[in-house]
Amino acid sequence: MMASKRSTSTRRADSQAASARAAAIRKEQERKERRRRNLVVTGVSLVVLVLIVVIATVVQSSRDTTGATASAPSGAVGRYAVPAGPPSAPVKVTVYEDFICPFCGQFEAASRTALQKDIEQGKVQFQYHVLNFLDRSSSTHYSTRAANALAVVLDKSGPAVAKQFHDLLFENQPQENSAGLSNDQLVALAVQAGAKKADVQKGIDDLEFQQWVKNVTDQASRAGVNSTPTVRINGKTVDAVTTADLVTKVEQAIAAG
Amino acid sequence: MHWRGDVLGFVARLVVGGVWVVAGLLKLPDPAQNVRAVRAYQILPEAVVPLLGHALPIIEIVVGGCLLLGVLTRVAGIVSMVLLSAFIIGISSAWARGLSIDCGCFGGGAGPAANAQAAYPWDIARDAGLLLLSAWLVWRPHTLWSVDAKLMPLEA
Repeated sequence: MMASKRSTSTRRADSQAASARAAAIRKEQERKERRRRNLVVTGVSLVVLVLIVVIATVVQSSRDTTGATASAPSGAVGRYAVPAGPPSAPVKVTVYEDFICPFCGQFEAASRTALQKDIEQGKVQFQYHVLNFLDRSSSTHYSTRAANALAVVLDKSGPAVAKQFHDLLFENQPQENSAGLSNDQLVALAVQAGAKKADVQKGIDDLEFQQWVKNVTDQASRAGVNSTPTVRINGKTVDAVTTADLVTKVEQAIAAG
Repeated sequence: MHWRGDVLGFVARLVVGGVWVVAGLLKLPDPAQNVRAVRAYQILPEAVVPLLGHALPIIEIVVGGCLLLGVLTRVAGIVSMVLLSAFIIGISSAWARGLSIDCGCFGGGAGPAANAQAAYPWDIARDAGLLLLSAWLVWRPHTLWSVDAKLMPLEA
């Protein structure tokens, strides 16, 4: 039973307990306030970040012109390929290559002479898909410039000159991670292949077929081509580990007819 | 305050955030290249390939930036874990199917087919390491020197 009159120390203890409780309640309220505030800050931050991602993605997407309509050079086969050889040839060989790709250079060097004979005899039609996916391997987007140059030559000077130019480009292939041949050098090679300077200078300088080259590269990607050189004979990819292996298989397929 | 956790978290933020920002910046210049890289894995339907190819570098830079600054660390850590898990699955799938692709992670493209296969285990190991660091940040998001601490203090 408690005495009705309490001692000083009991009163002090009670009042201390009361302020401690009051302090605890205040602290709890402050904690809840802070939590609510933090949630709002989190929510607003998230919304801002998502907006940034959405807007930036739209901008990034607008920088990609892949698939925009582009006219192919006249003489192109199947909208995307530069032909060498008659359309009546029994064997069709599709070659996906990039003009700065060293392995493509190796393939071309090893196969050029033998395949030229087959082309002349009408045994095979080559269809070159010239890609620009190694553009970052040069400081001047050489892959695009060279592929564009080939398109210009095909468009203005015809397939025979274009094939010559194609071969010259690989014979004079620049190193990876270099600036590549200049536009004037490209024009000079085109002239050497049989083109008229006045016909091709502007197209080469102005990248007349740049969008077409982008679309050719996109089509290759959609066709499942992810490395170069990729060679398909009558639609079927040739499986080979070494360049020599690849050349042998191509020549065998052509001989078989 | 777990000061050891704070310092480790700070280092984890810098490493993972730094990697994301660099990876994203390397991919930014050539949007078409990134679309091709996503398509090369042959996992996603073509309908979403271009969208993901365009969005991925942006997401990487934003997540990386958040981690570097320590903004919404736990959320950024979760997004980081999701992305890394997706990459690990993608690379493993390509490896299992014998696909030859240069891992598109660092803005790379194609190269000689033989080398691509050899790189897969290293790419997976690297991503697994980053995944562990990201998981730490999800578990202990309160780190040294973060914007979070200023925006959302724990004590008044």
